[in-house]
Amino acid sequence: MVSGLPRPSAVPSVDPVIELRELTRRYGNRTAVDRLTVRVQPGVVTGFLGPNGSGKSTTMRMILGLDAPDHGEALVDGVRYADLSWPLRAVGALLDAGAFHPGRSGRAHLAALAASNDIPGARVERVLRVVGLSDVADRRAGTYSLGMRQRLGIAVALLGDPGVLLLDEPVNGLDPEGIRWIRDLLRGLAAEGRTVFVSSHLIAEMALTADRLVVIGRGRLLAETTVAELVAGGDNLEDAFLRLTSQVTDHRGTDVS
Amino acid sequence: MSGYGFRHAARMERIKLTSVRSTWWLATAAVLSMAAAGVGVGIGYRAHTPVATTAQILNNSLSGAILAQLLLGALGVLAVTGEYGTGTIRSTFAAVPRRRTVLAAKVAVGGGAALVVGLLASVAGYLGGQLAIRGTAIPAASLGDPQILRAVLLTGGYLAAAALIGVGVGTVVRHSGAAIGTLFALVFVPSFAIGLFGEDGIAVGRFVPLLMLLNSVAVTTPTPGLFAGWISVLLMCGYATVAILCGGVLLRRRDA
Repeated sequence: MVSGLPRPSAVPSVDPVIELRELTRRYGNRTAVDRLTVRVQPGVVTGFLGPNGSGKSTTMRMILGLDAPDHGEALVDGVRYADLSWPLRAVGALLDAGAFHPGRSGRAHLAALAASNDIPGARVERVLRVVGLSDVADRRAGTYSLGMRQRLGIAVALLGDPGVLLLDEPVNGLDPEGIRWIRDLLRGLAAEGRTVFVSSHLIAEMALTADRLVVIGRGRLLAETTVAELVAGGDNLEDAFLRLTSQVTDHRGTDVS
Repeated sequence: MSGYGFRHAARMERIKLTSVRSTWWLATAAVLSMAAAGVGVGIGYRAHTPVATTAQILNNSLSGAILAQLLLGALGVLAVTGEYGTGTIRSTFAAVPRRRTVLAAKVAVGGGAALVVGLLASVAGYLGGQLAIRGTAIPAASLGDPQILRAVLLTGGYLAAAALIGVGVGTVVRHSGAAIGTLFALVFVPSFAIGLFGEDGIAVGRFVPLLMLLNSVAVTTPTPGLFAGWISVLLMCGYATVAILCGGVLLRRRDA
């Protein structure tokens, strides 16, 4: 098993699903997320696709209770995030890579979060090994390379051995080896029955990683489908994606002539 | 399964506070600045005529608290703004979604640490002054003397309250530079503004942090017209409470 512990006990009776119901968020006049209703299933990797600024990150933050929706709700395992007893044991999240105090060691960062959810110290060492940071765990996070920071972020997400994983652009800035490592990791986690929800604007990467796709543009649901269905029309995935999002892309360049 | 609570959040905050260097630098600087002020005052008075009194030595050797309050205030600020500046706050609130539990933990852990450091710093100021006047005709001040002990302990308490005001201001302002600037302004501007009140200066000044420190808290006998030292420290705790409550209200409303 990727995470190195038996099947998470935090995922007993209810399926570890993410449910968005009419989720809406406005910033002034702009509607960042617009009545988004989606159910993210366990056992597969679900890709969350959309152009830049389409509301992916805002949606992720609302699932985690960091931003408040103006309307609708986001539920994890049937409850709002704020009502989870041990949030890190139910949901693991990677929001922005490098969101660490640069002066704190990777180990201390993990240890602090572990303490907050009563996660044993041995689990900190375990996730450090899983992401390959054991040797540098006592170095200040500010000295880490981008790839190492991304790995530390993944370690945070895995810390509570959660049934639900939420990752915002996890492969940003990674080298090919790192990208493949994350892809294999996510597929392994889904194969264990976890719910894996990964946002990206990289279609080619999603085609390799995800089974299901949720496509949004300007905060609205454009398609909830599988990779196979989306390319069934004979397009490649990129063409299919661009066709879907052509009406909702905010800024577009033109040909050089 | 009961779920996480204050106890867990406090453990998290203890690890976070002790695992960054700024905490140790600020704490060390607070103790050293008071020790240095104490020694400086003692040396200054060694050859002073007429011979200095016990009160003169003590009052002045605690004057390093002027700087120490800013250092510990900054420590309180950074316990909060350090997380906003780096994005760590989102990890923290994802781990403990009840934000006011996080704030309460920061208050308990930061306030506790600042009280320990504040008392150490205060004792260091006292000892610095006493060591520097050894062998002179100036009478020694003993911690067995209730007046002396009270001033030293209350100064430690005042410094802890300054750190808690920092936690509150940091929660409201969220940006390190702006929050530390706000804290400095809160400490210094009112004491300058007192001049505007002329005759009524004392009536207003007894509510002003810096003046309370120098004339009511860190002294053997408060200046007439000012509050007793312990009331001044309670007043500081009251200011801290107001700042923290404002932060708590805003925490609920704002996005992280």
